[in-house]
Formats: sequence, structure tokens, C-alpha cells
Amino acid sequence: MNRRLTRVDELKRDIPPGRDLWPAISAAIEADKAAADAPPSMARRRAAWLPAVGLAAAVGLVAIGVLIGLSFAPQGATPPVVKTQTGGSPEMMPAAYRNQRDALLIEVQAKLSSMPEVERKKVASSLATLRRSIDEIEAALGRDPANALLQELFVSSCQEEMRALTAVRDSGSQET
Amino acid sequence: MSVFVIRPVTALWILVALPIAASGSEDTIDRTVAAQAQGEVQISNVSGTVDVRGWDRNEIKVTGDIGEDVERVDIETNGGRTVIKVVLPRGSSHDGDATLEIQVPRMSSIEVSAVSADVSSRGVLGTQRIKTVSGEISADVAGDNSEVRSVSGDITVRGAGKPIALRVSSVSGNIDLANAAGKLDAVTVSGDARLQMADINEVRGRSTSGTFDLRGKLTHDGRVDVEAVSGDIRLRLAAAEGLSTEIESFSGDIHGCLATSVERVSKYGPGVRLTVRTVEAGALVRAKTLSGDIEICDK
Repeated sequence: MNRRLTRVDELKRDIPPGRDLWPAISAAIEADKAAADAPPSMARRRAAWLPAVGLAAAVGLVAIGVLIGLSFAPQGATPPVVKTQTGGSPEMMPAAYRNQRDALLIEVQAKLSSMPEVERKKVASSLATLRRSIDEIEAALGRDPANALLQELFVSSCQEEMRALTAVRDSGSQET
Repeated sequence: MSVFVIRPVTALWILVALPIAASGSEDTIDRTVAAQAQGEVQISNVSGTVDVRGWDRNEIKVTGDIGEDVERVDIETNGGRTVIKVVLPRGSSHDGDATLEIQVPRMSSIEVSAVSADVSSRGVLGTQRIKTVSGEISADVAGDNSEVRSVSGDITVRGAGKPIALRVSSVSGNIDLANAAGKLDAVTVSGDARLQMADINEVRGRSTSGTFDLRGKLTHDGRVDVEAVSGDIRLRLAAAEGLSTEIESFSGDIHGCLATSVERVSKYGPGVRLTVRTVEAGALVRAKTLSGDIEICDK
């Protein structure tokens, strides 16, 4: 039977918990300490590595895409590389791709110059739009290199540019 | 000794009539050659028009007007292959217009190559490959593995409503497709693409800055995969057995009757995504843009 207390100093000094809580608390403290010691550098390292890994992945993807895109590129001798009006500075593209593209651009410029003015403007404007799009995607990738959507759009846009340039270069050729 | 004397008036008539007669013979063409029912016909023209018509005879008939800058029109038949070619003088800087109407056996396969010439095709049931630089193309296409492409010319294609594989592409021209079915590959850079299909087995599409508008009915395992950069994508795709979507835009919006659960891709960055799954397996619609908006609806 419980005895009624009449004074505060009659209360027990310690009240034991139902179970021992210390092991869990200790483990949590140790985990925090571990996170504060070794993991900080890991976390920083992870943060520092993430864009680099993303960029590497993007470049890898571009290389794969470019290899596919090269199937659209002209065969045979490669004319000397020149700067053209529609040529940007596609830094992410491999050198082989840039060379093929520049060679194709020379042929496309020749083709454009033989077109009537209205048509030439229309086609040149489309090609410029395509190049601008690639530049936009590239700029966005620079800010968010690990973005899978941007990587995909970049690769397919580079391939599309090669397709369009090839279509213009080959236009009007009498195959029959 | 008798002397043959030409009166001055007669001489004048001869002088005038001779060039007219000579040029008159080159003004028009009207030739018919035998052909196979399912043969191959290759046609090339630089400027003017090419109208191809399918008919029920095993003959190819070429009629039309030939411009003065055209040297000749060659028609060569070898086995099941007929080549019709408008030949310009070597080094000619003129367009050399030729307006040709060509009737071919209905089941023929045709290949038409033109520069600024407009091309039309009606009633041909075989495979068609038509390409122009700036000429417009208007074709009724029913043959499997057909391809229609231009650089700056607009393209209008009408399918027969039966499933075929078709490729349509342009750089700056618009693409207008109606009543197609089966597999479609449609690509444009800055032109708009308006595509209306019956049963869709597979559509792969891409636009850089043009609007890509696709309407049709997905088969139970139909696939649509569309990509744009700054162009908008509009998809109205009925799917009787339900569909799944994987739609993402980097900086554009996603809207439409299926866009009820659009979510942000990242808490801190741009990007929206719509993932809908009304069926476990079946029709799938994938669409992505950089900055263009995406509208998706199944009604």
C-alpha cells in the first residue's frame, strides 16, 4: 500500500528509467563525433567532387553521342578548319567532332551561297537557331553539369546539328 | 535550164516558221514507256513542278512543258527501273523550269529529287522517297518505309490510315501530317510540326524551336518520345488502356488535363517533372524540353 508523502524531502533522489537509455544516447553521440571528425572532409569532398563527376559524365555522354553523330559527317578528305558565322565555341565537344563539324560547315557555307537569298536567309536562320540552342544547353550544363536532362538534350542537339548540316550540304545533289 | 526561184514572201515565211517549229518541238514532252507493275521510278528535276500520279496501267507516261533553259528530258528504262531526268546544259546558271506530270503504275516505288521544284504525289501505293531543297512537297503516302524531307520547303503528307513506317524531316519548313498510322519519325529545326495520326505504334519526334503538335490514338503498347529545345510540345493522345508519362522540362511549364501532379525536380534548382502511371505496363509517353512548355492530355 502506498504511503502518502507530506514533505518534499521525502521524495526519492533517483528515479530509475524503465530501461537503460545510455547505450542509445552514447551511440548517437559517437555517431555525431564521427560525423564531425572524418565525415566533414568527406562531405566537403563529396560536394567538391559532385560537379566534377557530373561534368565527366556529361563529357562521356557527349563523346558517345558525338560518335553516333559522326555517322552523319562527311566522308573523305577533311578541308582546313575555318571559323564560320554559324560556328560557336563548343568547348564540351571532342576535337574530332569539332574538326568534322568545321569541315561540314565549309561545305554548308558554299551550299548556302549558291541558294537564292530568301531561302538562304531562312536556312541560315534555322542553323543559327540550332547553334544558339546548343549554346544555351551548354551554358545551363555549366551551371548544372550533373543534370541528366541537359546532358540528353545536349547530345541529341549536337546530333541534330550534324543531321541538319548534312541535309543542307547534300541538298540538291542529283543522285539519279 | 530551169531555175528554182523562191519568192521573197515565201522566204520570209520559211525563215520565221523554222525556229518556231524547232522550238515548238522542245516546248512540250509527251512520251510513254512500258514499265513493271511494281517497278522503281526515279525522277529528278531542278525547278518547276513534278506531279506524280498512280494509275492502273503498266506504263509510265511523261507529259509537260519544258522551259527554254532545259537541254532535254531523259527517260531510260532498264528492267524494273525507270529514270526520268531533266537535264540542264552543263554549267547552266539558269533554273531551267520543267513542269512534269508523270503517271506511273500504282504499285510503283518512287524516288523524287528536286531543288526548287514543287513535288506532289497522288495514288502511288509503293514506297516513296521524296526530297527537295526549297520546293514544297504534298504527298499521299501509303507505302511502308517512305521518307519525305526538305530543307526549307513546307511538307504536307496524308497517310492512308494503315500502319506504315514513315520518316518526315525538314530544317526550316513546316510539317503537316494527317491520317498517318504506325511508326513515325518526325524532325524539324525551326519549322512547326502538326501531326495527326490514327493508331500510333511509335512516334519519335524532335524540334529545336518549332512547335511540335501530335494528336492520335496510342495502341496498347504504343510509344511516343518527343524532344524540343525552346519549342513547345503539345500532345493529345488517347489511350483506351491507359498510359504512363515521363515528362520533364528544364525551365518550361507542364500543363494539360493529365498534368495534375507536376513536381519540381529539385528543391533549389529549376525544372519540373510529371510522372503519371495509369497502367503498370502499356503505352508510354516521354517528352522533354529545355525551355519550351509541354501540354499533355489524353482527351
